[in-house]
Formats: sequence, structure tokens, C-alpha cells
Amino acid sequence: MRAIDLALKDLSQIFRDWKAALFLVLMPVGFTLLFGFVFSGAGGGDGDPRLPVGFVDGDDGRPTSTHLLTLLQGSESIRPEVWDRDDLDAAKDRVAAGEWAAAVIVPAGFGDGALGTGEGDSPRLIIVVDPASNAGHTAQAGIQRAAMRLMSATQAARLTANAYQDQGETVDQAFLYTTLERAITAWGDPPLQVITNQSGAAVEAASESEGAANDYAHSSAGIMVQFAMAGLIGAASILVLERKSGSLQRLLTTPISRLEIILGHYLAMYAMVLLQLVILVAFGQIFLAVPYMGAHLATILMIVVTAFWAASLGLLIGTVARTEEQVIIMTLILMLVLAGLGGAWMPLEFTSEAFQTVGHLTPTAWAIDGFENIVVRGLGLASVWVPALVTLGFGLVFFALAAWRFKFE
Amino acid sequence: MKAIDICLKDLRRNITNAFFLVFGLGLPLLTALLFYFAFGGLASGGEDFDLPAVQVQVANLDQGIAGFSAGQLIADTLRDAIPDLVQTSSAVDATSARAAVDRQQAAVAVIIPTGFSETAFASGGRAAIEVYQDPTLTLGPGIVKDIVSQMVDAFAGSRIAVTAAREQLQSQGIDPEPATLQTIASQYATWSAQLGEQASTPALFEIQAPPASEGENAGGMASILGLIMAGMMVFYVFFTGAASAQSIIQEEEAGTLARLFTTPTPQSAILGGKFMSIFLLLIVQVVSLVIVSALVFKIPWGDPLPVALVALGLVVMAASFGIFITSFLKNSRQAGIIYGGVMTVMGMIGMVGVFTASVPGADNPMRTASLFVPQGWGVRGWQLLLEGSGALTIDVLVTVGVMLALGVLFFAIGLLKFRKRFA
Repeated sequence: MRAIDLALKDLSQIFRDWKAALFLVLMPVGFTLLFGFVFSGAGGGDGDPRLPVGFVDGDDGRPTSTHLLTLLQGSESIRPEVWDRDDLDAAKDRVAAGEWAAAVIVPAGFGDGALGTGEGDSPRLIIVVDPASNAGHTAQAGIQRAAMRLMSATQAARLTANAYQDQGETVDQAFLYTTLERAITAWGDPPLQVITNQSGAAVEAASESEGAANDYAHSSAGIMVQFAMAGLIGAASILVLERKSGSLQRLLTTPISRLEIILGHYLAMYAMVLLQLVILVAFGQIFLAVPYMGAHLATILMIVVTAFWAASLGLLIGTVARTEEQVIIMTLILMLVLAGLGGAWMPLEFTSEAFQTVGHLTPTAWAIDGFENIVVRGLGLASVWVPALVTLGFGLVFFALAAWRFKFE
Repeated sequence: MKAIDICLKDLRRNITNAFFLVFGLGLPLLTALLFYFAFGGLASGGEDFDLPAVQVQVANLDQGIAGFSAGQLIADTLRDAIPDLVQTSSAVDATSARAAVDRQQAAVAVIIPTGFSETAFASGGRAAIEVYQDPTLTLGPGIVKDIVSQMVDAFAGSRIAVTAAREQLQSQGIDPEPATLQTIASQYATWSAQLGEQASTPALFEIQAPPASEGENAGGMASILGLIMAGMMVFYVFFTGAASAQSIIQEEEAGTLARLFTTPTPQSAILGGKFMSIFLLLIVQVVSLVIVSALVFKIPWGDPLPVALVALGLVVMAASFGIFITSFLKNSRQAGIIYGGVMTVMGMIGMVGVFTASVPGADNPMRTASLFVPQGWGVRGWQLLLEGSGALTIDVLVTVGVMLALGVLFFAIGLLKFRKRFA
């Protein structure tokens, strides 16, 4: 009971500075929106998330160019933007400036060459791309797939023309173009296809909200875990202030036990982080359609253990730090390092293998894993037991260290 | 002379302050180091990026036709295409393959249906290979899907060629013999196989790099790190500027400033000395960060003159902004919310162009949005140097000009406010 009184006193001190507390919610919301925006591939395309790719036709609008454009428009990963300037250097500049993920240039004579009606070999399609970038790699794959389908169709037209000639007939350009069109139409719905399905129930959740959940799911979970640590500055500072001012020592002269004092301060930190996480989860669910409530028991478990771990870290910082400045320095350094290593800023998938291994030595990676199992993979309670236990384990270690090293003077 | 004494005293205190060492120098470099590590710099020791292998479960249910299995060919190609990156293992059925992905033991399951070969060589019917993936992953499943799609398209192309030929010949009044269609299918298969033998089909495409990737200084780790380092530098330089200016408020609260004003030292010399120390501190910070990042991370900032100009613009703007924003504070308690909240949000907006640099189409609108805060101009200065191989261009000069103009404006307002305050 005395511990609860002490916790309530700490909480009233923390929330007295309500503007600072407000930032503990506003800042993660801002970062969630920013990172969600970045990872959604936003920017232009009237909501079309596909990568923009420049299309430059230097072949006078031949049917081959038109069909290539049709095939590019049907791509799942890229959306062509027709550019009426036949200028390779200018197209390269736009790719370099990041306005396009790549550019495809149809050179003069390409159509005639591809259909075998021109002189000599067909000039090659030019693809301007930086294959070292993820966007460039994806765009190149999309362009090559569309171009290969076009070349397949031109080959079909040429073979059909050969068969027609074998019947003693004469092939003209119209014959080739008609066959080409038949093949291109068939490529619109090919008889053999690759379909993609995603693991878990997240597929249904995402389709119900038209994909909005996926855009913010990672950033919501990652930033929430990161900012669970930011709030510890105020709470740990109270502990340091009480130690410096002698309040902790004075408390020892009262009937309250040492354990109750530690628990009281700990409970305040725990309640604050818990409240912060609940608000951020509610924000994610209501405004960003991140499906936390798809497995509400799993979400509650992850909130509880994440708050436990973060508050234990706060208690440890408050125990080790001697001044308020040290509290700020330690908290922010730990927050940045643990968030960066744990994959809060970018999915660990994009990092090297060594980084992923090191990342999973941090509690942040496990906490994010747990939340992602719920909101990205669409899994339930069974999927978060391991991440929850590991996060809880980190919390216990931090708490034990803090209780062991706790100083009253 | 008095002003210089005050400046040196403040500077000495600030430079040896743990806050400056940690926030001003340590954290920007630490963040850059994290990204360096994240993108494989320490793992590979160079420009290469070691992606972890993608575990793929292949459930090949195709029995083949006439001794040939298209499904087996796809499974073999997937296994051999990029063995370092794509590692396959066989699953007995579709359920177990999907279950491996559900249990996160595999990133992707490729399920080749029964009768795939039959459909591939028949004149009718449809078939689909399922790529079942972990939704948290994009790179690995994307690579697997690319490989499978190429193979499936090769088989589909043959059928489409035969179908298009039949329809076209029939439209010309010719009912093609099965042997004719067989010849077309066979010739198509030969053409397709020849293409497949040429790595990346160079006969069809000519890949050209955009100008930024051609220069030795652009692209790769250095480019990514340069942008991140620039963002971090700007973010923390503004923090340092504001935190240093806060010493005026702290001295006011402690009463030392009032005592200084009772001495024969003119008020202008006292404030001037304090302002000078802020500028000098930021010069130390920016120069240190540029030099250390260039040496450690090999960031190609550019030629000395444009680098010096951008650094000067940033220092003048950030120091003045610190004086400007601190002049609005009533006491040091308000500093927490300003530094923790306002400065962080402004820093985020200023750095938004860094975060979206690799998102085609989002880059320009985001960069424009970032220019609504002074931090955005600082990031723009470094970004122009990194993208332009460090050359002194008109854009760089304009950006430096804007930074200096903003700096003068902030300084003038801050100075007026402080003078009024201490009048």
C-alpha cells in the first residue's frame, strides 16, 4: 500500500509537467507517420504505390512501343510515366534525381528489328537504372519481365509469319501486327501464372482496410517500443533528485521498507510506460488501422511485458545515474542504440546477417518481433509467447540489477 | 577584450561538458556507425552488402509428362540460381510448406501444383504456382518470385505463341496442322532456351547507370552514410546551439549574469562574448564531425571551399537559431519542452528528405517540405554536395545564402529580445 502511495506521488510529479508528457505521445505518433509514409513508398502516383518508371519512346509510336507500355502498365511493381522527350541524358538525370526508380528507352528501329522487318539486328532496349538500390533492382526486374513478354510476343509473330509463308502466302506488316496483338492480349491473362499469398490472418485484415494496415504496421510497433524508453527520463530523474536531496534517506526513517521504496518508484515508471503504450496502441488501431485488436490477448501480453522491461531499464538508469544530466545521456544513448539495433527504424530484414544476429541480443528486437507477429503476420497468442518471455527475461535481469545496486544515498 | 575572455571561458566550459561530448560529437557518430554496421560495413569490410540467405520450402507436386517435369526444372533453377542467397529445401506437400512459413522456419514456400507440366504443354487449361510468404519480408520473397516468374513466363510464352499462331492462321482461312503448331512450339522453345543461356539476357537489354551511380564518390555505403551523417550533423548542431544559448538563462537564474552586469563590462561585451562562444563551439562540432566522418566512414563531402561554405552557413544558422529560440524562454524549465519537443519535431521535418532519399517519386516533395524549417536548408546544403561530387554549384551558393540570411534574421531577433530583457 505504501509502495502504491509512493508510486502515485511519482506519477503526480511526472504528469505535473503535462506538456512534456504530451510529447511522449506526440513524438512517437509523428515518427510513426513519418516512417510509415517512407516505407509505404509514398509520393506521387495518386495513391498508386508502384515504383515510378520513365518510359521514353524513340521509335515513333510503333505498335511494339505501345504494347510494351501496356505490359509495363500491367506490372505489379512498377508504373510507367510516359515522357515525350527523346533525350537519354535527361532521362538519366531524372533517375539520378530519384524522380524515377528507372527509365526504359525504346530506341529508333527497335520495333522493326524485333519483328524482323528492319535491316540488321534489332537495337536493344535501354534500361537506365541503379541496380545497387532496392528500388532500382525491383524496377529492373519489372521492366525486364514486361520486355521479355513483348519479345515473346514478337517471336510468336515471327514464327507465325514463317508458318504462313510456308503455306505459300505473303506476309505483310499488318499480319505481323495482328499476331503481335493477339499474343499481347494473351499475356494480359497468361495460362500459367504465379500467385502470391501471405502467411497468417493479416492478409484478410489488410484487404479489409485496403492495405493501409501494412503501411504503418512496422513503424507503429517499432517506434512505440523505442519511445517506451524515452519516457523514462522524467521518471528516472525523480529517483536521482530524491537521492540527491536526501529524500530517499529520509524515507528510510519511516515505516516504509526498502523493498517498498524500490517497488513504489518502479510502479510509477511501469504505470507511465503502460499508459503510453496503451495510448499508442489505441492510436495505431483507430487512426492507422494497425490490427492490434486482431489478437487482443497477445497485444495485451506484449504491452505488459514491454512496459515491464522498459520500466526495469528506467529503474536501472535511475539507480546508476548520479545526476539528471547522466539520466538524459544514458536514456537517450540506450534508446538510440537499442532502437537502432533492434530494428525500430527499419525492418531488420534490410540489414546484414551479422546485424540481425546482434539485433536479437537486444530486448527491442524481441518486443518488435512480438508486436509484428500480431499486426503484420496476423498471428495470435501462441506466436508471442517466445518474444514475450525473452522480453520479460530482459526485464527481470534489469530489475534484479537495479534492486541489487539500488542506493539510498 | 572582455568579450573574448567571456567567450573563451564559456567555450572552455562547453567543450569539456559531457553533454557536448555525448550529444554534440558522440551521438551523431554513433548513429552513423549503427547504420554503417546495419548495411554490412563491418561485416564485409567494404561496399558489399551481405543479405542473409532466404530459406525457401519447395513443394513440387508436379508429376511431369513424358519423362519431363516443368515443376522439377523450376525447383532446380530456384536451387541453383543464387545458392548463396536462396537456399531451398523440399516439402512433402503444400500444407507442410505453408506451415514452415507460418512457423517462421522459412521465408517463402513455393508450391508447384499437380499437373503443372501437363498444363504447360497442353492446348488448354490453366495452372498457377503459389508463392506463400512471410508478410514481414520483402527482399527475399521478391527475389524468389522474380526467379519463379521468369521460368513460368518461359513456359507460358510457348503456349501463348501457339495459341496466337493458331488464331491468326485460322483468321486467314488456314486451319493449321498439329505438326505446324508443334514446329512453332519447338522453335519457340529453342529461342527461349537460347535466351535463357545468356546471363541476364544482354542481347535484349542494355543497362545504363544514372550519372550519380557512375561517379566514384556516389552510390554504395559512402552515399547512404553521407546522407545519414549529414542529417545527424544538422540535427545535433541545432541542439548544441540551443543548449549552449541556454547558459544565458541558467546564468540569469543563478544570478551570475546580474552580477556581471554590475561590473564595468558593457552589456554588449557580455552578450557578444556569450554569442561568440556559441558560434565557436558549433564550428568545433561541425569541423570535428566532417573530419572524423570523412576519415572513418570515407564520406566524400567534396572540395574544401564548398564544404567550408556549407559548414559556415550551417554554423551561423544553427547558432543564431539557438539564440533566437532561447530568447523566448522565460526559464530553464521551459528548455526541456523546447529541446525535447520543438527541436526534435523540427529536426524530423528537416531530415525527412534523408529518410525518403531512396524512395523514387517521394524525394522531391519531401525535400521541398523540409525547407519549411531551417534544419531542412542545412540538410539540403550537404545533400547537394554529396550528390554533386562536392562541387561548388549555383544551388550550393543559393542554399548557403539562404542559411546566412536566416542566420542574420534569427540573430537580429534574438539580440533584440535579449537586449529588451536585460535593459
